[in-house]
Amino acid sequence: MTSLATSRGAAGRAARRTRPGAGATRPGFVWALPAAVFFLLFALTPLLLVVVLSFTSWDGIGEPRFNGLDNWTALIHDPVMLQSIWTTLLLTVLGVVTQTPVSILLGVWAAGRQRNRAVLSAIYFVPLLLSATAVSVVWRAVLDPNFGVPAELTWLFGDGNLLGTRSGAIGVLTFVGVWQFTPLHALIYQGGARAIPQVLYQAAAVDGAGRVRQFFHITLPQLRNTVITSMILMVVGGLTTFDTVLILTQGGPGNDTTVTAYYMYQKAFKGFDFGVGSAIALVLVVVATLISLVVVRVSGYDKMRGTTEGL
Amino acid sequence: MRSRLAAVTAVTALVLGTSAACGSSDSSSDAGAGTIHVLVYGDAGNKVEKQIVETFNKTSKVKAVLDTVPGADYQQKLQTVINSSRAPDVFFNWGGGSIQPFVKADLLLPLDDFIAKDPGLKDNFLPSVFNSAVIDGKAYGVPMRGTQPVLLFHNKKVLADAGLTPPKTWDELVAATKALKAKGVTPISLGGGDQWPTMMWFEYLYDRIAGPGLFQKALGGDREAWASEDSRKALDTLKQLVDSGAFGSTYDSVKFTDGGSPALVAKGKAAFELMGSWYYSTQQDANPDFAKSGLGYSAFPSLSGGKGDPADVVGNTNNFYSVLKKTKHPEAAAAFLKLMYSEDFVKAQLAIGNLPTTTNTLDHLDLSASPGYSKDQYQLVKAAPSFQLSWDQAYPPSAMTPMHTAVQQFFDGRLDADGFIKAMQALPTS
Repeated sequence: MTSLATSRGAAGRAARRTRPGAGATRPGFVWALPAAVFFLLFALTPLLLVVVLSFTSWDGIGEPRFNGLDNWTALIHDPVMLQSIWTTLLLTVLGVVTQTPVSILLGVWAAGRQRNRAVLSAIYFVPLLLSATAVSVVWRAVLDPNFGVPAELTWLFGDGNLLGTRSGAIGVLTFVGVWQFTPLHALIYQGGARAIPQVLYQAAAVDGAGRVRQFFHITLPQLRNTVITSMILMVVGGLTTFDTVLILTQGGPGNDTTVTAYYMYQKAFKGFDFGVGSAIALVLVVVATLISLVVVRVSGYDKMRGTTEGL
Repeated sequence: MRSRLAAVTAVTALVLGTSAACGSSDSSSDAGAGTIHVLVYGDAGNKVEKQIVETFNKTSKVKAVLDTVPGADYQQKLQTVINSSRAPDVFFNWGGGSIQPFVKADLLLPLDDFIAKDPGLKDNFLPSVFNSAVIDGKAYGVPMRGTQPVLLFHNKKVLADAGLTPPKTWDELVAATKALKAKGVTPISLGGGDQWPTMMWFEYLYDRIAGPGLFQKALGGDREAWASEDSRKALDTLKQLVDSGAFGSTYDSVKFTDGGSPALVAKGKAAFELMGSWYYSTQQDANPDFAKSGLGYSAFPSLSGGKGDPADVVGNTNNFYSVLKKTKHPEAAAAFLKLMYSEDFVKAQLAIGNLPTTTNTLDHLDLSASPGYSKDQYQLVKAAPSFQLSWDQAYPPSAMTPMHTAVQQFFDGRLDADGFIKAMQALPTS
């Protein structure tokens, strides 16, 4: 038994020194060609066109007319633009902060093989199957101040003017986000938790660690990479939030929940000002890229190591 | 091997054959007498449009083809198609600001020549409606559906219980809201979440206090109109009503479009709602019993000391057909437009619940599903010295979002009168 453990440990250390796969020849670029062409055609080309459009004035009828930096100076002086970025960031942070703990708990719980957990998990994952539009419509009805839940629970909701105030509307968007996206992340955590070797728990149990201790000292550290993956998905999803805003608040009250993606939609597809719309889209691209880079750097996602090293 | 070759040949032949067939069918329809394409907003009203196209095609050599675009996508689709080779010859619109960018881009045909040849194309329609598709003195549209003036609806039972009658003056309305509030009823139901229902209150108060001229001036580019004394007075009057709690406190969490605000009135939790004439059919669908016996309506109250005529109305004047300049068959288009004041058209529109705005509508009002309601509306529109097109339709599309935001923020107290005036002055005009 002891000899087996040491030999496995030695193998692990050896693997770290040489890096698995480092000596193997990499496949040629040709293999990546289909994906590269696809990316070029459907991601880079439109992006470049948007860059060009952001320097024009175009209402979709005539020819785009170059207007230099007009759109950009207008955006810099536009209070709604700046506010929309803050609102987007706020909603993203709130989304990560609320969804992560719930999904970890739910995911770890659902990782158990008991039958009742399997049945309940299946029910918990139902929101994942519903379209964002349907989810938003349902929640609007449920939260109606006169005929919905707030009308019955006045001690909790006051007059029920949830979507009529800034804090209320942001609260509703965050809550619906939790309801809608937790299942997806719980699913990711369920997979992550099931991949944790049982040996660790058995060893901890032998050492007398209880459930809570096992959770904090084994499950959470072992889930580190899963947390990062799920968090990046949340950040990207949060930054591009659009459908729930469109149906639940339409950016209201006033501009209070006008997130950047929705502001772009308002300018481009309701106001037919595609120049400014493109400029807003680019701002969103830049902000999202910066944030992704920071997350990747800080989390060490770029040099991600296995959590089972040394086992 | 051979059979495979045969299959490939067959498939190739088939593909070539079908594509050739497509090509030939296209050219054959363009050759000969030709066609005009009519683009309309896709909804239940298309029944009449189909019927009119069939009528037209019975006698015309140039055939009309009806293209419908599902409602929600209509404006976007129109915007992308109108300057392309696939542009329609005749298309549905809302007059005013909805066609103004096209006029500016010189895409539309002024209908003045048509009218010179057939004065009926103008004279057979109510002037207050016809005028909302007149831009820079030239006519660009012919009314083609029903008019939708904004009326003050009420729950008869709620008013009776409070010992009230429908208000004829602003003071009566204010007094009624106080009495209703004291009884624990929300005086006025408002779907503030949709934003445009809030705007209707501005439209009427500006008209009653300043007359229709102020908005027309502002729309024409005179930004000072918004800062005028009348404008401030209208804002002040409205603010007092909001602050008195006449709309309750949760109006921004309620929408008209999802049935929230009409349900308040139907269930007796609120007394009044200011809404377009489609409100009647909205209630008929959702609460048929209430629509039948409990739903009342009146014109917007008059305001003493105001410059506007109490008979003025606001709302959606009508929908219009406009003609593209590059149409190959202007005569056919003119002939098609003439059907919009035919008896068949009027009868068909009335049968589906629309109220056409031709001068001969009055003769056929008995065909309407609710003749009394139709008659009242028609008289209201006919007698109106001014029929103000909804603000967000009168301005170019790019003004819609900032305008909606401003009216909502003024009701919320996030913008004061100065802030609102500034927001309106910043709107793009023509």
